[in-house]
This record gives sequence, structure tokens and C-alpha cells, in this order.
Amino acid sequence: MALFSAFQTTFLLALLSLKTYQSEVLSEPLSLAPESLEVSIDSARQCLHLQWSVHNLAYHQELKMVFQIEISRIKTSNVIWVENYSTTVKRNQVLRWSWESKLPLECAKHSVRMRGAVDDAQVPELRFWSNWTSWEEVDVQSSLGHDPLFVFPKDKLVEEGSNVTICYVSRSHQNNISCYLEGVRMHGEQLDPNVCVFHLKNVPFIRETGTNIYCKADQGDVIKGIVLFVSKVFEEPKDFSCETRDLKTLNCTWAPGSDAGLLTQLSQSYTLFESLKATKCAPRTLCKHKSWCNWQVSPDSQEMYNFTLTAENYLRKRSVHLLFNLTHRVHPMAPFNVFVKNVSATNATMTWKVHSIGNYSTLLCQIELYGEGKVIQKQNVSVKVNGKHLMKKLEPSTEYAAQVRCANAHHFWKWSEWTRRNFTTAEAAPSEAPDVWRNVKSVQGHCVVTLFWKPLSKLQANGKILFYNVVLENLDRPSTLKLLSIPAPANGTELTLDRCSYQIHVTANNSVGTSPASVIAVSGDPGNKEVEEERVKGTEDGFCLSWKPQPGDVTGYVVEWCERPGDPLCDLQWKNLGPNTTSTVVSSDAFRPGVRYNFRIYGISTERIPYLLEKKTGYSQELVPSDNPQVLMSNLTSYSFTLSWKDYAAESQPGFVRGYSLYLKSKAARCLPGSEKAVLSDDSICCKYKIDNPKQKTFVVENLQPASFYEFFLTPYTSVGEGPQGAFTKVTTPDEYSHILIRIILPMIFSILLIMILCYLKSQWMKEKCYPDIPDPYKSSVLSLIKSKENPRLTIMNVKDCIPDAIEVINKQEGTRKSLTETEPTKPTYLYLLPTEKSHSGPGPCICFENFTYNQAASDSVSCGHVPVTPKAQPSQLGLLTSSENVPKALGKNYVNSLGEIPAGETNLNYVSQLASPMCGDKSSLPTNPPEPALCSEYKTQMAIPMGLASPPSITLLDEGEHDH
Amino acid sequence: MSYLLAPLCLLTLLLLPLSLGAPISPAEPISQAYSLALYMQKNTSTLLQTYLQYQGSPFSDPGFSAPELQLSSLPPAAVSFKTWHALDDGERLGHAQGAFLALTQHLQLVGDDQRDLNPGSPILLAQLGAARLRAQGLLGNMAAIMTALGLPIPPEEDTLGVVAFGASAFERKCRGYVVTREYGHWTDRAVRDLALLKAKYPG
Repeated sequence: MALFSAFQTTFLLALLSLKTYQSEVLSEPLSLAPESLEVSIDSARQCLHLQWSVHNLAYHQELKMVFQIEISRIKTSNVIWVENYSTTVKRNQVLRWSWESKLPLECAKHSVRMRGAVDDAQVPELRFWSNWTSWEEVDVQSSLGHDPLFVFPKDKLVEEGSNVTICYVSRSHQNNISCYLEGVRMHGEQLDPNVCVFHLKNVPFIRETGTNIYCKADQGDVIKGIVLFVSKVFEEPKDFSCETRDLKTLNCTWAPGSDAGLLTQLSQSYTLFESLKATKCAPRTLCKHKSWCNWQVSPDSQEMYNFTLTAENYLRKRSVHLLFNLTHRVHPMAPFNVFVKNVSATNATMTWKVHSIGNYSTLLCQIELYGEGKVIQKQNVSVKVNGKHLMKKLEPSTEYAAQVRCANAHHFWKWSEWTRRNFTTAEAAPSEAPDVWRNVKSVQGHCVVTLFWKPLSKLQANGKILFYNVVLENLDRPSTLKLLSIPAPANGTELTLDRCSYQIHVTANNSVGTSPASVIAVSGDPGNKEVEEERVKGTEDGFCLSWKPQPGDVTGYVVEWCERPGDPLCDLQWKNLGPNTTSTVVSSDAFRPGVRYNFRIYGISTERIPYLLEKKTGYSQELVPSDNPQVLMSNLTSYSFTLSWKDYAAESQPGFVRGYSLYLKSKAARCLPGSEKAVLSDDSICCKYKIDNPKQKTFVVENLQPASFYEFFLTPYTSVGEGPQGAFTKVTTPDEYSHILIRIILPMIFSILLIMILCYLKSQWMKEKCYPDIPDPYKSSVLSLIKSKENPRLTIMNVKDCIPDAIEVINKQEGTRKSLTETEPTKPTYLYLLPTEKSHSGPGPCICFENFTYNQAASDSVSCGHVPVTPKAQPSQLGLLTSSENVPKALGKNYVNSLGEIPAGETNLNYVSQLASPMCGDKSSLPTNPPEPALCSEYKTQMAIPMGLASPPSITLLDEGEHDH
Repeated sequence: MSYLLAPLCLLTLLLLPLSLGAPISPAEPISQAYSLALYMQKNTSTLLQTYLQYQGSPFSDPGFSAPELQLSSLPPAAVSFKTWHALDDGERLGHAQGAFLALTQHLQLVGDDQRDLNPGSPILLAQLGAARLRAQGLLGNMAAIMTALGLPIPPEEDTLGVVAFGASAFERKCRGYVVTREYGHWTDRAVRDLALLKAKYPG
């Protein structure tokens, strides 16, 4: 123990002596402890900021020192952080140090203390710790306020995947607090009764607007929370690249990394830094744009550059580097002053200028020549300042486009943009003779030659064809030449020539010159010899035509045809072929199925005279006939009939007519010889005759049955098939004897008709002879007079109403009929049917029938005027009058009187009803006041006739009385 | 004398309607305000739902409700029926006027907050803006009623004071919730207030 105390004393002494020594050497106070320690809080960053100073330093003295800092949480014994901080210290310099807490500072009380030591090689003897400063306490909770609950940290911004510590501070001890992250409850550790801590590991990015974390008490609706802003990991820029166009400005570009995922909280900044020649004036450039930045090249011809692009946001900093030589990053400007000069028909020169990229640099320029949208020439040229390139082998009168671009010849980086110019080469004379053909017609002794030519192709024309020259050379008179100039769009002309032989030269002309001449000759002899027409079969690819090779000199062949055969402008086409050719295929899109095309093959003689060799005709595709013939039937007999269709135009059918089919329907089950059974499209069965010869236009159908019904139908057929189905014509064969019958019956009918006509014409005569008219009293005009009388009772007595009482038998004698007037009236014989008194005084029998018009006087004077009745009716009324002349005689006086002025009262007219007296002459049985004092009963038709009307009707009445009884 | 009196009487008759100077009938502004309040009432729940939908959990959770969350700067609409019924016209209209004045200012604040917190939600921002304009319109209508009834119009006050700044994001979300909720409550109350006035001052 004594030893120990002695050792301690020795140590303290030594220490003291050392301190004394030090003070002597440094002549400074020895206490180099940190002083004036202050601790402040940055809640937003969860940082503790410490600041202190070391006072006991000499003026201008700098010492390296190390400071040991201790941080404890909740209580001072719970040290959670110890760190040694080395720095150079000056006298009274304020030193600063920061510490970021994982736990929000509001969650717990923190305490800080520190001590210092010299860590300098100059004074190695002073390497010992000073005393600790006192604990500086940081307690944010006390300043929070009186809310029942707090959650920390507020609005923290972290990167995705980082770890975050959260706590709540509750003022109430009773309440249970639950905390949730996006609705999911979190489990934490209790730091003290009021504080709970939650450690979140690897926090995910949920949404741009942040992640809600909230706590609430079980009782009450206290709810508190924070928003944790989790950003995506900030990526470094990609594709960082710099280039210059004019060696004055560098343009650096990059693709920024993906968005950090927060809308406003995290803004990014990009900074460009050149490290090889960093000057104080412009060490770095803060870029205004997110993906590019410009850098002014220094004028001192710095070649190498080392750029650093730094992208930065609140949480992270990212950098990319780029080292390059400026001349290797030249992207030249597009060439300028580009012209196409000296443009001829086949050549052109292109000139241009380039922007210089340094004193000794050369540019490589690329020239492309476009014709009809395709690159036809490509050339590379080295250029300092002025470029020039000759373009050759151009086509005359053609549009071209030339373009040029340039790049650094030695260190290729990028091509400039193209500069383009269009130009058109000049015209040249047409290179080819026009293809000429002719058509010769003979009109009124003249030769009408129609010339056709095909327009030259663009390559052959070498410019715009303005006109065609046609030179006519009369071969018979070689001195005469005739020139015709035809304006350009024309593709032919018509010439009227005499019968002479001509040679025709045709040339095409543009603004520059004339084409070679095309020569064709017209012979004086048209030479249209008859050539047999051959049939040729067409295919989808066209017509394959061949011909026999011609002996002798032939300079070539021409095949000619019309593309629209039915059209007056038949669209003449021709094809030139070499002298060794004997076949060709003629194809055209204009060929249509069912149209007959005619081809003529000409040989061209050495004198350029075409002569017809062969004719061909055919269809590109044959079709079935379009219509059926109109068939006429003749010579119908009981056993046969003849069909003919001579008008049928087989030539106009859409195929070669190979023959005809005749269909015959009959009731007979068997087909006649020469025909065969066939089934029609409507499944009916009939007999079919085949007529193989297409030129046969008549046909006799034989071996038919008399008086039978037949139906026939005729249709042509081509190689493809038959014509359209048509209607059958009906025919019935006549009976075997019917024609004989007709020969007899017809004349008979005629003669009967003749007789009937004759009879009709002579009918009046016949009537008079055979059955003359009998007058009918009922149709007499007197009747109407009677009816108009005042006394309606007056009527005509019907015979059937009379009861005959006597029949007068008349002895009919032929001689009495000679003349009624002359003949004595025959004495009638009266048969008394009723008993009468014998002693009557009247003449003759007493009962008579009388139909008589009379007046009273007459009846008085004539007791019984018997009118002699002739057995036959009188032919004339006059005759009647004359025959009863005794009556007019008796009446004569009264008639005369009646014609005079007779007073009405004097007219002693007595109307007596004609009643049959049952007892004629029996006076006693007469009714009282008998109308007449006649001796005997007479039946009289009593009429009073007005005097004025008395003449002709009375005659009719008299006539009535003449009827036979 | 009589010839002097006659034109005077006539003049009196003519001037009678003018000289009375009757205040404008309160029925018409009440009716207009009532119509507007009814229209606003139809949209308040939509506004609240839209607002909550954009704030994340717990706000967007189904059935979220935190009635104890209040703002000291915003008078609550809840009042006992007896008290409410006993209010005279001046008090009734004064309360509503004060509340909607505060609401217009708070809706402006919430709109600003949401423009910061939810910049990608134009629907919400538009609804908040529309709600503020309607609240202002109702304020104007209420001022017309008070004028018609001869009541003094309270001066406009800055109800927000110092609460606006320094709040955390979560606090701002809560604040917006309270404002949109109270906007609905105050609109409901205004409908009833105006219905009462409408019955009291029939046209």
C-alpha cells in the first residue's frame, strides 16, 4: 500500500513537472479542452449540430487535434455514439460537427459531451485527453406542446429500400396506441412508457404522393400521422456525349435516369465540370436543361477535355465522366452555297462550300445523285473549303437530285445533314426512229394511206417531241418530194395518194434535233391477194401466231390486229419482228373473252413494202353462243317438216360455232333414227339431233307420226358448249286424209256461202213472192185514234168474244175473183145457229157480223147492210172501197152532211153497246129501251167518228171487216 | 282652395309608392340562397369522398371518420337543436355568414395544400375550387338577405390567422379533411336555416 502511494506520488510529480516543462516550452496555457459547447437541433434532417472552440491556443498557432464526442440517449449512461473527430484548430476558431440520428430526435432525450487531445507531431508529448465537458442535454419533447399524441419524423424523405425509424410520443399513459403503415398495423418497441419506436426496413415506393403512417389511440378519435416520402433510387445519366459543330461551342447531351417518382419534393440538378483545365472563372456549369448543356470552348486551343456530369437531388449525387479530344468530336455543319452548274444533256457540275473545322483539317464529302427516287451515283470527295464534283453519264431531259454531306476526314465522328439540289439535264435529239405502220385503202381510184406511229419512250425522245415530219417520196418520179409536218400529240395521219408507189419517211423532232427516219413503202399494186384465214386458239397469255418463213429477202415481219374489233376506230396495233422470226405471242390486257380477233401477218420486202402473208382469227377465250337462231318451219306434212335458220349470224357469236343441236320432244317413247336421247336442264327427256356442219342452215325432221304433237328447239354450240336454253316451238302433224277432205269441203262451203249471199240480196223479191206481209189490226194507226177518244169503252171487238149464231157458207168460185167491182155479190148462205122468227121482213138472214162504222142515219136506213165478203183479202184498200160501194152510197148524204157545219146538238149520234142479243129478232125478249128499232139483231161495231177525222181510218176499219171468218 | 288641393292629392297618390321606400322583400334573396344551398348540398358528399380518396390510408379507408378532428379557426356547425332554434334572424345569419367566410378562406388553403401534395389530381382541385366559389356565392346571397331584413353585415375577418404554415403533410391532409367535412355540415345547416327563414318570410 505504501509502495502504491509512493508510486502515485511519484507519478503525479512527474506529471506536474512535465506540465511545467511544457508551459516553459510553449509559453501557453496547457488546457486544450473544448469549451463553449453548444448543441442545436435540425428536426427536419434529424441532426444534432455541435459547435465549440478551443481557447487555450497561442495566436496564429495551428494544432491538429482530435475530439472525442459521446452521445447518450434517454440517460447519460446509455451512450449510443462515440466518435473521434480530427481537425486543425486555431485559436478561438468555432468548430462544428454534426451527427444524424437514426431515431427522430423528438423521440428521446439526447445528451452530448466531448473531450479533446492534441494530435500533432510537433508536440507529441501532449497527446492526452482533456477533461470531458459537461453533458449537454437535448430534449425536444418538452417543447412539443400539449397534444395527446405525436408521431415523428415529419415529412421524411428517403430512398426506396432504406431503413427508417419512427416513433410516437403519447402524453397519456392509459391509452393504448396502435400505429399503421398504409392500413397495416406496425409493431414496435417501447422506448419508455410514453414513447414507442418502429423500425421500418427496406421501405418500398408506394406512390408519388408519399406513404401515410398514422397512430391512433384506442379511446377517442385522436389520430396523428406522418407522410413518409419514399423516392425511387436516383439513377445516373446515360449516353453522356459531347460534340462540337463549329469548334466554339461544345454541346453535351445525355439521357436522364428514370424519374425519382416524387412530384415536387425532389428536384434534380445537373452540373457539368471540366477537370483538365478547371479555371476559377468557369469551373462548372449548372445546366438549365434536363438532358443537354452547352459549354463554351476556350480560345486557347485546348484539345483534350475531361468532363464530369453530376446529377444531384436531395438524397443522392451521381456522376459520369467523359474524356475526349475536341477534334475527334466534330459534327460538321451542312454544306452551303451548293449549286449545280454547267448542266448539259449528259453532264452537270456540283459545287459547294464547307465550314472550316481547323486550319489543317480536311473534310470528306459524300455526293449522291438521285434519279426517279433511286440513288444512281455515289461519290466521296475530299474538301478543304470548296467542293466540286462532275456528274457524268446523265440522261438528256431528265430530272435529277444531287445532295452532299460532309464529315471530318481524319477522325470521323458524324456526317453533317444533307444539302440537296434538284436539276434537269438539257434535251438532245431523239435517239430512235418512231415505230411506223400503215393501213392502205383504195377509195375511188386513190390510195388512202393511214399512217400510225407509236410515241417514243422517254429515253428515246430525249426531250419533248414537238412535231413529226412525214416525207413522201414518189418512187415513180424520184424528183418529187412532199413534206408534211404534224404537231406532236398526234400518233398518225391520213394521206390520199394516187396509184403511184411511194416511200414514206417519218421522223420525230424535239427542240434540239431530228430522230433517225422510219421508212415504209406503199406499192402501186395494193397486192391484196386472197389469203385463207386460219383459226388460231388463244390462251390466257395471248395468241401464239406462227407463219411460214418466206423465201427471198424479207427484212422483217409485222403482225397487225385490232384491239377493239367491233369499233370503227379499231385501235390498230402492230408488232415488228425480225426477218428470222416465224412465230410470236401477241398478248394484250385489252383482249376480252368472247371477242374474235383478226390478225394479219405481213412480210416486209427489201423495198420496205409490206405484203400480206397470212390471216389468223381466234378468240382469247371462247364462250357459249349468246343467242339462238330464229328457226322457220316449212313443208309440214304428216310425216316430216323442214327447219331453216338462214339468217343466223354465226360469225358474231362469242366462239366458233361448231354445229347445231336440235331437240325434239314427242309422246313417242323412242327416239327416231338419227337422234339420241338427251336430258334437258329441267330434267325433261327429249331426242337430240346433232348437226355437225356449222354451214348447214336447214334440217328436215322426218319419220314423224301423223296427227301427232311435237316440240322442237334448235341451238348452236361452240367448243365450250351450247347456246342458252330457249322456248320450244310446238307443231302438230296433220292427219293423213285431212288434205283430201279439205279439197272437197272448202268448195262446198264456198258455194253455200255464195247462195246465201244471193238469197240475201234478193230477199225483198223473195218475200214478195213467197210470203207477203199481212196487215195486223193491232198495229194499225187507227188504234191510237181510238184510244184518244173520250169514250174509253169504245173498243174493238174480239172475234173470240162473239158467239156465232150463223155461219155463212160462201161458194167459192174461181170466176168471181176476176174483178170484185164488176162481179155481182155472191149471195151468202146463212146457217141459222139460233132459232129466229120466220116472218121477218129484212132481206136475207138476220144475223150477221158486221164491223162497221156508221152514223145513226145510216143504221136507220139500212136495216141490215150486208157487206158482201170476198173470200180473199183485197190487195188494196182502194179495192175495198170500191167493193163496198153500196155502203158509201147509202151513207153518201150523211157523209156530205157531216162534212158541213153540223150543230153539236143536232148530231144524233147514238153509241150503242154492242151486245150480243141472245134472241135475235125476239122483240119481246129484248131488253127495255132497246137501242135500235131494228127488226133483227145485228152485231155492229158502232163508232162515232168525228167528221174531220172520218176519212182514212174508216177505210182501215172497212178493211178489217174483210177478214175471213 | 279646392282647386289647389286636387293636384296635391293627385301628387300624393303618385308619390305614394315612392315615398314609402319599402325595403326589398327578403323572400326573393332567401329563395335564391335556399336554392343555392340545396344545390351545394348535393355536391358536398362528393367533394368529401373525392378528397379522402386522394389522401391515402387512413383517409381513403372505407367508412373513415374522425369527428374529433377540429380546427380552432373554423367554427363547428354542430349545435344543439334548442340553441339553434332559439336563434334570432341576426344570430342565425351571422353564424352562417361567419362560417362560410371562414370556409372560403380554408377552402383556398386546402386547395393550395392539395396543389402541393396531389398535383396530379385536377378533379380534386377543380372540386375544391368550385366549392369555394359556391361558398362565396352563398355569402353574397346571405348579405342580400341581411340587407333585406335590415340587419348589419358583419365585417370580413381573417379567420385563418397563423395556422396556415409549418404544418406537416399529414396535418395538412387532416386539415383538408376537417374543412371539406365542415363545409358539408355547414351547408346542411344553411339549408335548414334558410328553410326556416323561407317559412318565416313567405313570398
